Amino acid sequence: MTKRVLICSLVLAALASAVYAADLAVIVNPQNPVKSMTLAELTKILKGKSPSWPTGHNITIVLRDGDSPMLKLVAEKIMGVGADDARRALSDPSRKATAPVVFATTDEDIVKFVGSNSSAIGFVDVYNITGAVKVIKIDDKQPFDPGYVLKAH
Amino acid sequence: MRIAITFRRVMAVAVVAGGACIAAYAANHERTASPTPATLAVTTKSDAAREDYEMGMKDREDLLYIEQGTDYMRLAVKADPHFALAHAALAYFTTDPVEEKRELELSVKNLSHASPDERLLIKWLNGTKDGNLVPAIAAMNDLLAKYPNDKRLANLSAEWLCSGQQNFERGEDVLQKVLKNDAAYYPALNNLAYCYALSGRVNLAPALMERYVRLLPNQPNPEDSYGELLRMAGDYDGAITHYRAALKIDPKFTTSQLGIASTLALMGDEEAARPEYSKAVEMTSDRATKLNYRMLMALTYYRAGQADVARKQFTDLATEAHQADLAIQEAEAQRTMALFNTDTAAALTDIEAAEGTLSEKHVVAPEARDVELATIEQTRAFIAARANRLDATQKAFDTLKTLAASSRNNLIQQSFHSGNGALLFLAGKHSEAISELQYDPRNPLSLTLLAVVQAKAGATADAHATLETLAAIIDERVETAFAVPQARAGLKAAADVVAPQPATTAQSNGHRGGPM
Repeated sequence: MTKRVLICSLVLAALASAVYAADLAVIVNPQNPVKSMTLAELTKILKGKSPSWPTGHNITIVLRDGDSPMLKLVAEKIMGVGADDARRALSDPSRKATAPVVFATTDEDIVKFVGSNSSAIGFVDVYNITGAVKVIKIDDKQPFDPGYVLKAH
Repeated sequence: MRIAITFRRVMAVAVVAGGACIAAYAANHERTASPTPATLAVTTKSDAAREDYEMGMKDREDLLYIEQGTDYMRLAVKADPHFALAHAALAYFTTDPVEEKRELELSVKNLSHASPDERLLIKWLNGTKDGNLVPAIAAMNDLLAKYPNDKRLANLSAEWLCSGQQNFERGEDVLQKVLKNDAAYYPALNNLAYCYALSGRVNLAPALMERYVRLLPNQPNPEDSYGELLRMAGDYDGAITHYRAALKIDPKFTTSQLGIASTLALMGDEEAARPEYSKAVEMTSDRATKLNYRMLMALTYYRAGQADVARKQFTDLATEAHQADLAIQEAEAQRTMALFNTDTAAALTDIEAAEGTLSEKHVVAPEARDVELATIEQTRAFIAARANRLDATQKAFDTLKTLAASSRNNLIQQSFHSGNGALLFLAGKHSEAISELQYDPRNPLSLTLLAVVQAKAGATADAHATLETLAAIIDERVETAFAVPQARAGLKAAADVVAPQPATTAQSNGHRGGPM
């Protein structure tokens, strides 16, 4: 390989880093009758202001911990705050009784949790969904739809 | 063919399968058709159909005999017209839009003949074609979980993730798992090398290619892949050496012949490229593929600065495509003429012609038509925005908006964002225009416009970086032939102004015509 190869590689790396931007899928248990919600409703859920489903069951939120890009996306696009503020708000112990938040280390864990918990709502990279969960529409749009609000970019 | 899926627009040439001489091929290649253990079982009452399906998957996915593999799939559906999975596989593999549309419909019509797991696979395969990606991804992941040892299934998935979706991280993860269990599973070596290359780590590819070549010393695709990856890295001489090695193993390996032709064209040796393209045209029997190769050959005249000759050739090709009812090819020839037309008004007339071709009554799959129309409108927006023609830019945007509102196709969405970026640019909304154009980071037209907008916005360093990204693109696309030489010239001029130096020739490091 020559110098030219390395230069090309570096430039292509910059190119590629801009290419992949997964949509965030909002997932619930298939038994959950909810099929869609507005972004405003989703914001209320994450902020603990709307802690239960229409069925009356308390909502359990499950999302990625640490510095994951998905948590940053949830913070910015849904909660309208930075990742640190979102993490602080979501970790507030006072929420445990009404709108508990579970942090997971992988999307796979989130999918498994939501797939086995009828009151959970999760946030994952759309490429990690399985048939065990249901993807709900936000503002009448689902991942890959034109104008879908939870598009990473 | 190097990998089974290449991102669209990298290859304006769609390798349309058909008419291959299977009997002669099979006689020259010893293969077995026994299915891999622990794989998803296929449902058909016909032993011949099962055998053809397996041979098709082996050729198409494992050995990368694209045309032959697709032909076997055609034999499978002929042997068992109710073989739903084979219909879906044929729809997934073919690049003939008419065949794709028909086979998609037949796969759905025959779903009742498929097992539940086959239906999942059909849901995934069809979803990648009809835009129903959410259920498609769920089906793919369910299958991967249920068949963790199905290497071919994993390889097929990873290939789609990397090449089709640019989700390199996930694709690499799937392939690494396969290779961890079987380090000699050669299709995964090939796809992982491409995944690395497409994600900007082409330097990791040669080591995988060395293993790939060693594992299949008598197969042409490893050498062909090696050639293409070296070409992506700018090592043109190395690329041609490997393409020639592939043809030595199999003189009928058409993509290697095409690889030699296009490599010569990318090196700037257009005279030498043309007879090599002619050989590739002779080597394929499919009429659409022949036309695609001839369009690449005609592109050499634009590359060489012989615009009049090129236009005459593309005009003739458009006429031929029209007579053959190949609307996509006809429109593509017209779009190419528009892009290279230096007279804006005349270029927009060419675009009108291309759009008109698609509005005529042709047998074309709606998705293929919409993607081509989006490409045409994106080109219109690019031409119009550069000429400060708000009316034409708005017209392109309006059509793109309509297309994007009803399609989840990534390419259509990217074209829409690019068109929107062009419109925002003309409105002086530079920041918003930049954000929109960045949605289409592989397209040379979007990158060209992005660099212009960034410069206008005062982001000089960003504009320079965008031009460097553009200049590093090495592929056969019409857009690349149009935009990349300009970007390289612009960078060279800028470098000469900043630090005048003695001219260094590309030959000094053994390459010609590569990126800056």
